[in-house]
Amino acid sequence: MSRHDRYDAIIAGAGHNGLTAACYLARAGLRVLVVEKNDWVGGAAVSRSLHEGWTYSNCSYVCSLLRREIVRDLELPRFGLQVIPYEGGASFTRDGDYFAYFSDHDALRREMARHSPADADAYARFSQTVMRQCRFIRPFLLRNAPDPASLRPRDMGELLFLIRKAHGLGRRELAETLRFWTLSIGDFLDEHFQSDLIKAHLAGSGIIGTGLGVYSPGTAYVLLHHYMGDVDGTIGAWGFARGGMGAISNALAASFQEAGGTIVTGSGIDRFLVSDGRVTGVALENGDSYAAPVVASNMDVKRTFLKHTDRKHLPEDFIRAVERFKIRGSSGKLNIALDALPDIPAAPRGAPFLRGDMHCSTSLAELERAYDDWKEGRWSAEPYFDMLIPSQIDPTMAPKGKHMMTVFVQYAPYDLEMNGVRSADNWNDDTRKAFADSVFDKIAQAMPDIRDRVVHAEIRSPWDIENEVGLTEGNIFQGELTFDQLLFNRPVPGYAQYRTPIAGLYLAGSSAHPGGGVMAAPGANAAREILRGLGKAGRMPDHAA
Amino acid sequence: MPPDATGAGKGAFDVVLIGGGHNGLAAAITLARKGRSVCVLERADRPGGMARSSEPAAGAHVPEIAHLLYNLDARVARELGLGLLLKSPPIPAVSLAPDGRHVVIAGDAARFADGTPHPDAPAFGELNARLRRFAGLLGRLSLKSPPRFDGGLASLATMGEMAALARLGLDLKRLGKHEMREFLRILLGNAHDLVLDEMADGPLAGAICADAVRGNHVGPRSPGTVFNLMYRLGSGGAVRLPEGGMGAVCGAFEQAARAAGAEIRTGCDVVRILVENDAAKGVALRDGTTIRAGAVLSSAGPLQTMTLAGIGHFDVEAVRRARNLRCKGTVAKLNLVLGAAPEITGLRGDLAAGRLLVAPSAVAVERAFNPVKYGELPAEPVIEAVIPTLTEPSLATNGRHILSANVQHIAHTPRGGWGDAARNRITATVLSQLERHMPGLKGLVEAAELLTPADIEARFGAPGGHWHHAEMGIDQILTLRPANGLAHYRLAVHGLYLCGASAHPGGDVTGLPGRNSARQLLKDRIL
Repeated sequence: MSRHDRYDAIIAGAGHNGLTAACYLARAGLRVLVVEKNDWVGGAAVSRSLHEGWTYSNCSYVCSLLRREIVRDLELPRFGLQVIPYEGGASFTRDGDYFAYFSDHDALRREMARHSPADADAYARFSQTVMRQCRFIRPFLLRNAPDPASLRPRDMGELLFLIRKAHGLGRRELAETLRFWTLSIGDFLDEHFQSDLIKAHLAGSGIIGTGLGVYSPGTAYVLLHHYMGDVDGTIGAWGFARGGMGAISNALAASFQEAGGTIVTGSGIDRFLVSDGRVTGVALENGDSYAAPVVASNMDVKRTFLKHTDRKHLPEDFIRAVERFKIRGSSGKLNIALDALPDIPAAPRGAPFLRGDMHCSTSLAELERAYDDWKEGRWSAEPYFDMLIPSQIDPTMAPKGKHMMTVFVQYAPYDLEMNGVRSADNWNDDTRKAFADSVFDKIAQAMPDIRDRVVHAEIRSPWDIENEVGLTEGNIFQGELTFDQLLFNRPVPGYAQYRTPIAGLYLAGSSAHPGGGVMAAPGANAAREILRGLGKAGRMPDHAA
Repeated sequence: MPPDATGAGKGAFDVVLIGGGHNGLAAAITLARKGRSVCVLERADRPGGMARSSEPAAGAHVPEIAHLLYNLDARVARELGLGLLLKSPPIPAVSLAPDGRHVVIAGDAARFADGTPHPDAPAFGELNARLRRFAGLLGRLSLKSPPRFDGGLASLATMGEMAALARLGLDLKRLGKHEMREFLRILLGNAHDLVLDEMADGPLAGAICADAVRGNHVGPRSPGTVFNLMYRLGSGGAVRLPEGGMGAVCGAFEQAARAAGAEIRTGCDVVRILVENDAAKGVALRDGTTIRAGAVLSSAGPLQTMTLAGIGHFDVEAVRRARNLRCKGTVAKLNLVLGAAPEITGLRGDLAAGRLLVAPSAVAVERAFNPVKYGELPAEPVIEAVIPTLTEPSLATNGRHILSANVQHIAHTPRGGWGDAARNRITATVLSQLERHMPGLKGLVEAAELLTPADIEARFGAPGGHWHHAEMGIDQILTLRPANGLAHYRLAVHGLYLCGASAHPGGDVTGLPGRNSARQLLKDRIL
């Protein structure tokens, strides 16, 4: 028997953004339904147990960007969310050396000086610039991006806010901000540092998740996107969600359910129901349909409109704009169950930096070549990876004495090239295994016994991520973070404020401003716009201050 | 002002200009016409810089570096008395296709060389027209000193300086919502996506992408390349081979400067800028001569200029920024003297006189960019070639022809250095690539001259051997050109100005940095 209930609002997709929007709406007194295609909630912020005793953070794996205002508003700690900061990180060379990153300033200075005294001096200038940019951008995350082509008072007001903030930077810094946003992370690092290894260590944040190389202009902003979060007020710090990233989604879901919300899992959206240019509800793949005057899609903009909306309800140039929105799969993921901590001969046993993010890339040129491989449809012969063993800090992730390792790999193409043909169909067990082998070969640079430690490994290509989570091409940000797709351009100029050409249908996912990462800002912003549209703006907590 | 600062003494000038390239000459014209006594000092034995021609074989005149005129603004040309240069008709571009289906591009029109319509012609026409429209708006920012943010955005002084930006904002609003949004979307985008969103990959897409990366250290996938494309289109996008060849262009600049009363001295190698009490007072030459002046304009790069004046005169921050200038030259020039005109497979004679592009696809242009990032040499570089003797037979005697090719992307200095092997390899690579379309070309070559970016730096003083003295990236334009804090031609030493391509608005044979710098000097009333 199929169900046909009625709600005040429906959220399509139980990712962290969908759940965040749902929470705010439910707390504002709306009857809210969340529908999810998988049997579990969380989208790309999930913890799943694919091998008995171990918990993987299958997709996203560390936490920093999640806006503290949202954590507070939705009382996530009360629902079990605990973020534990990790202390540092390291990049290992082929010849047994390493560069270690410490959150302790003096330790970091000493370690930098070991590689290059000049770099130790330059680091203060580098981090000052990055921090200044972070402080500049953070107030914009929970606001609408102004539409410069609009003369509506609200857009003018937002534009004025932007100008006032820009003015507050002072003359040099304003110009410096324009420069920073358009520079490549490679060039930015080259003008500060000399050591190839230090540069390689710092550059990773500029390319994670993007179809850009370290020398592509605009990647300095991508670095910023990874630095603008915080853990317990420490800007730029990252941490583990206790119990894996699913803890965030689970806390959101619990908060939502306490506020009276309903979650239905196990069947995805077939299509959004539209009548006379207004959304009227959703039809699910299992035949159920639900009615509501407001629907928010947590899916990316391409999936929402090109797969689940009848084209006849959309203007032609909107469809064109959605088609050319760039969502490029560029990352893969390995989740590994280990029977013991791997041996790391280069580092002192139990060194604190081993509990942070570990890498094996040693120069910007190596990273750039990894990108060149991806452009040709190949996974990187020398991949960049961001590798962590969270079970060292969070014992809930693995049985006692055993460990769980997460390896985020850049780059892996969605449309893999085989024998001259580029297609996602080329991802199969053989290619997945070959991809994982190339990663293990490089991990062995730091951990020679890694292959012997593996009990189980989940290998995820961009195709797998798309298939399971629903992210187009497996792109972790629901759309490239290039300037033509940020702020008022995200996802489509003229539709950058969560509204769409269909009245009542909103975008609540990372395709909308301010973009991806487990930030939850798009979800909160979408909820604010929905409540405003319903004349209930007063029921949304005010983040403007 | 101390009395000697006027520079009015015997043998002294109001202004001395370092470098007799087209920008130095444009500055000289502007100043001399305002009645200032001006002396241009050129290190080489003739002025013209990268716009001059040379004679690698007796009787054959090749454009040494710049071989086409495409960004000279009509108003500026008239103002400088160079209007004649824009009289010759624009030439088409021909994107050579591996399968012989060459694509001819003239203005907003594209077709196959055999006259049949190109399937992507309508999309190209629309795209090019839009880019030209946007470029026209941006082009207006080129005519003034870049906007300043001094004193914050709200001060009256800044409001004045911001007038040009405000005008741009108004012009954008006037385009209508849709076009304004499109402008803001694509402004910082990359050429690869812009083009492939509209058409299939092939020689037409390749040609656009090649133009988007020309002269710069970028590939078509690099964000910012749409801006580069628009910069090229800033004066309408017409590409000309002026009557008399490119030699006539620097000849015209030189004549206009002399006619305005400027003195041009060649063979003068400036080794020092004289600084007294933090003010520029003239220059010292290698032969020991000093030439005193009330102000010094330098066509050299910012770091080179600072070094000439003594690096200690500048604050650490300014020097650091000058040192970090992004200026990796990527274009090599191959000049060939040919015994006869080469046949081009599948191309009529008059089209052979066009701008010949070897850029078979957007993907191929990106691939041609890859090796330079690692100091390696490309196997299949992107080439822009012209055979100016087909239009102007007098450039070479005895029925010979010249072929001038810009080759991209070539590292300033490849790993292992520029030995004969590396040089010969590049020449052979380019000849083989051209030979595919010009059978028998190798047999016609009587003389060949290869200028690598390293040669260009040594011969013309261009920082990094970069065409534009500083990369034309979004992070190095307007208020950021050449660097944040150095953007208004003035340097910290009183009376010392930058007037070369590293200054706003940037490279190409425009004369604008020189002209704008001269106008800034006049406006500052220090003479």
